[in-house]
Amino acid sequence: MTSAVISLQGIAKCFGSLEVIRHLDLDVLEGERHALIGPNGAGKSTLVGMISGLIPLSAGAIFLNGRRIDGLAPERINRLGLGRSFQITRIFPRLSAQENLRIGVMARHGIRYSLFRPATAYSAVAREVEALLAKVRLDGRAGVVAGELSYSEQRALELGMALASEPKVLLLDEPTAGMSRDEADHVVDLIRTIAIGRTVLIVEHDMDVVFSLCDRVTVLAYGELIASGPAAEIRRNARVQEAYLGTEHVA
Amino acid sequence: MKWLAIAAATIGLLLVPVLFGDRFVFVFIQMLTASLFALAFNLLWRHTRLLSFGHAAHFGAGMFATIHLMRLAEANVLAVPLPLIPLGGALAACLLGVVAGYFATVRTGTYFAMITLAVAELIYALGSQWEALFGGEAGLSSMRLPWAGWTFATTGEVYYIVLGWVVPAAAALYFVGLTPLGRLAFAIGDDETRVRFLGYNAHRAKTMVFALSAFHAGLAGGLLALVNENVNYGAFGGTVSASVVLHTFIGGSGVFLGPVIGAAGLTLLGALLSDVTRLWLLYVGAAFVLMMLYSPEGLAALFIANLRLWRELPWPSLVRLNLLGGLAVLAFVCTTVFVVELAARALTEGASATAVVLFGTTWSLSSPVTWAIPIALALAGHVALKAAIRQRRRLEDAVA
Repeated sequence: MTSAVISLQGIAKCFGSLEVIRHLDLDVLEGERHALIGPNGAGKSTLVGMISGLIPLSAGAIFLNGRRIDGLAPERINRLGLGRSFQITRIFPRLSAQENLRIGVMARHGIRYSLFRPATAYSAVAREVEALLAKVRLDGRAGVVAGELSYSEQRALELGMALASEPKVLLLDEPTAGMSRDEADHVVDLIRTIAIGRTVLIVEHDMDVVFSLCDRVTVLAYGELIASGPAAEIRRNARVQEAYLGTEHVA
Repeated sequence: MKWLAIAAATIGLLLVPVLFGDRFVFVFIQMLTASLFALAFNLLWRHTRLLSFGHAAHFGAGMFATIHLMRLAEANVLAVPLPLIPLGGALAACLLGVVAGYFATVRTGTYFAMITLAVAELIYALGSQWEALFGGEAGLSSMRLPWAGWTFATTGEVYYIVLGWVVPAAAALYFVGLTPLGRLAFAIGDDETRVRFLGYNAHRAKTMVFALSAFHAGLAGGLLALVNENVNYGAFGGTVSASVVLHTFIGGSGVFLGPVIGAAGLTLLGALLSDVTRLWLLYVGAAFVLMMLYSPEGLAALFIANLRLWRELPWPSLVRLNLLGGLAVLAFVCTTVFVVELAARALTEGASATAVVLFGTTWSLSSPVTWAIPIALALAGHVALKAAIRQRRRLEDAVA
């Protein structure tokens, strides 16, 4: 039996009197590509924020590989093996693409706050950065300042940074947001490669991306889980069609 | 080319006491310590985007610790060679930096700035009360003891101690920017949340950078205390904190040596003009405002952009740009001198002030012509500058 890598147990989030997440249970199983979908305001981004330690819970508990992680600082959760990307591109615009990734890789090599050698002098880190650049297909753009990369290149870099700490679990918050069809296809391809051997939880609006990429889908509406199961099943679920997909979309 | 420039600068700096008299060597010492102070301040701003409004706390801590150590040496309690004493000042400032930085860096932006300001003001207030530690109004004095055949009685000899610390310290600050912590600091300045999701404790990194910055600020203060042999609590004052901000931003915070240009340049000008005007700080303030309005990147960035154009384009095409830029600067300088001097005279002397001698001419304060001239000059400067900016954009497009 596959075990739950991420397990949300009875979690809730209130902002004042507004209940954004209502008593939600969800298991993300090892090795699966799990999509989280739902209309705007369903609470998807809040959920991702809660799992990654950015937003405190109002109730419930979150487990990562059986270890309770709610209440831990984001950096602790990251070191326990969870990486994430952001809906709004969060890279370091003043550093080159290569340096962006180096920051990510350095931490894993235990050279976080070192002052004795230039950052470029660590050859093991340099080799990994190079491999990572190739993986997200930015090897030709290594020296370019990240702020000057194109939007899709920045999104690829964002993915690369989520990968840099070699997480076992990846949270991807709308990885194809604001992209053209071609750019989105490119990123989907990329996700497919990097998902091998990992557990991935993706928040996504684009249904084509969701159904072509993910094994399981969970649907949220108004902070509640309305369906969760294999992608094909979710497609057929009447409640989901009504609440979110729109009947004509699936027909 | 780069190494040639560094070699020339080194030789030039080494020759200062040979070429100049004591009064000028002292000005050079002030330029060096102000430069190191500004570089230390900018370690925090340029990398981590933390704007400290209270860096005088660390500069002053370095000064007081150094004077105390000198007094201990004088009383034969401590046997440390004089040239090493400023290091004690730096360490004391670093210690203060760890404590102040730990609390201040919990926040960023405006809140961070406010905390640093409050810490400096707190120490300033303590300074006037706590006589045993800060010596009250008169401050504390000591004298330099000889060491290894050196008497350190002349400004020239002390100059070499200062130079011997400032240059390696500046190089160390440059090196910090290349290390993992330095690169991490840049990343934190860009996006702290992102850094945390890569597994870093951003607060710890910010505290470390803050302490490093405080260390170098304290070293600069310690060196100045060694030279002055005296310090009072004014070292913690708001003007000290403000001047390092002005120096850094006028010089250009985006380039490593930018703060040096601002600190050395303004200190030198201040010393040269101290006989001519009593209103030097007003001029620095005016220069800061104009700089932020027209070229917020500072002098160093202007210089680099201009250098790039000189390299890429034949020089005749640059004559117009440099002429316009020069005219604009001249017009703004004249306007500032006019306004500052006339206004100061009118305000301080009131109705008794009738005429002022400026630029070799006597100006009547009641004549509208006298006040129309700076307005016209400012307008001319503005027009020339706008034209220069347009021209620069055209040339840069041509290069690109």
